[in-house]
Amino acid sequence: MTENQENCTCGSYACRGNRLIFYGLAIGIFILLLVTFIPKYLNGNTAASGTQISGDIEKVEVYHFHATRQCVTCKTVGAFSEETVNTYFANELKSGKLVFAHVNIDLPENKALVDKYEAKGSSLLIGVYGKEGSFSKTEDTNVWYKIDNKTDFTNYLKGVIEQKFSGS
Amino acid sequence: MDLMSFMQSMGNNSFPLIAAFFIGLMTAISPCPLATNITAIAYISKKIDNGKRTLLTGLVYTLGRMFTYVLLASLIVYIGINVQAISLFLQEYGERLIGILLVFIGLVMLNVIKLNFIKSSGKFDKIKERLSEKGYLGSFLLGVIFALAFCPFSAVLFFGMLIPLALKFSDGILIPSVFAFATGLPVIILSFVLVFSISKLSNIMKKVELVEKYTRYIVGLIFIIVGAYYIWKIWL
Repeated sequence: MTENQENCTCGSYACRGNRLIFYGLAIGIFILLLVTFIPKYLNGNTAASGTQISGDIEKVEVYHFHATRQCVTCKTVGAFSEETVNTYFANELKSGKLVFAHVNIDLPENKALVDKYEAKGSSLLIGVYGKEGSFSKTEDTNVWYKIDNKTDFTNYLKGVIEQKFSGS
Repeated sequence: MDLMSFMQSMGNNSFPLIAAFFIGLMTAISPCPLATNITAIAYISKKIDNGKRTLLTGLVYTLGRMFTYVLLASLIVYIGINVQAISLFLQEYGERLIGILLVFIGLVMLNVIKLNFIKSSGKFDKIKERLSEKGYLGSFLLGVIFALAFCPFSAVLFFGMLIPLALKFSDGILIPSVFAFATGLPVIILSFVLVFSISKLSNIMKKVELVEKYTRYIVGLIFIIVGAYYIWKIWL
């Protein structure tokens, strides 16, 4: 593309022809992509992602993963999450039914946990253990939109954790 | 409904291209990409002329970002490269690379480092000329490299939101392209507005050459400041 434009300052007939071919090609590729992918978008929507655990819940884990160097937003997500579990789930924390921790992904001792949860950097991950030994994990990305409003954040996360405990 | 709730609902839109676009806009205004985008705006706006070249340069910069995002998404979606490994690697090294690179380019622009010293053959001069004057190749490369700068939050947006979307629809091309377009959109718009107003102003003052000379220095300084910001954040 750059070559084309640099040579085309002349505005000659040949150059204009090149440019037309280029634009034609670009639009053609774009249409081809749309035709290829749009059916996928329309079909792929029904599949529910992740395995759902039904039945009794043994334990729920809420982990705030972060690197040694943390961004302001990341620290907020960690702090608000900690406050949420301390405020609303004090009993579950005490009984061990709920686990919360800040996990530094850079430390070697956390490697097993990082790998188990497949943490890709700063993230809030929730793991659910079923009584029959099943395990499922989900990353919650919605919390990132709520860091401006603490009440919103805690209410939302409280709801998510309660939902995990109810097994739905 | 406040802005964040709006961004959230759009980012979760069931049509993936709309979701990708809004996740891209979130990325464009999050701190880290914002710093690189401001640098890109400065770079694109340094040559004062009619708006057409500026628009094209901004578009080429966006194409550069697109190249990186599509490459990363395709590697993950089609080849199955481990998302965790690539994410952690880029977060570890992406910013370091950019900090050093920005300071270096800034120093070249301010003529503190003269590339001709290294080799005075015409080839290097030509490359330098192209990078600094024409702007297309330079903008493309800036886009490619800047897109690699993943800070914790932009990594959440890309690896935590966009990549799952791309995986869900096994689309490593169109979804990341729309995302990339949205991350570059503010750059295209702001550069255009900036150049348009500066050119009007310098025409009134009849001092286009002088203004251009100063913008070159200002842009060089912006590169150094943003580069220093990255270096400071990581090493100090």
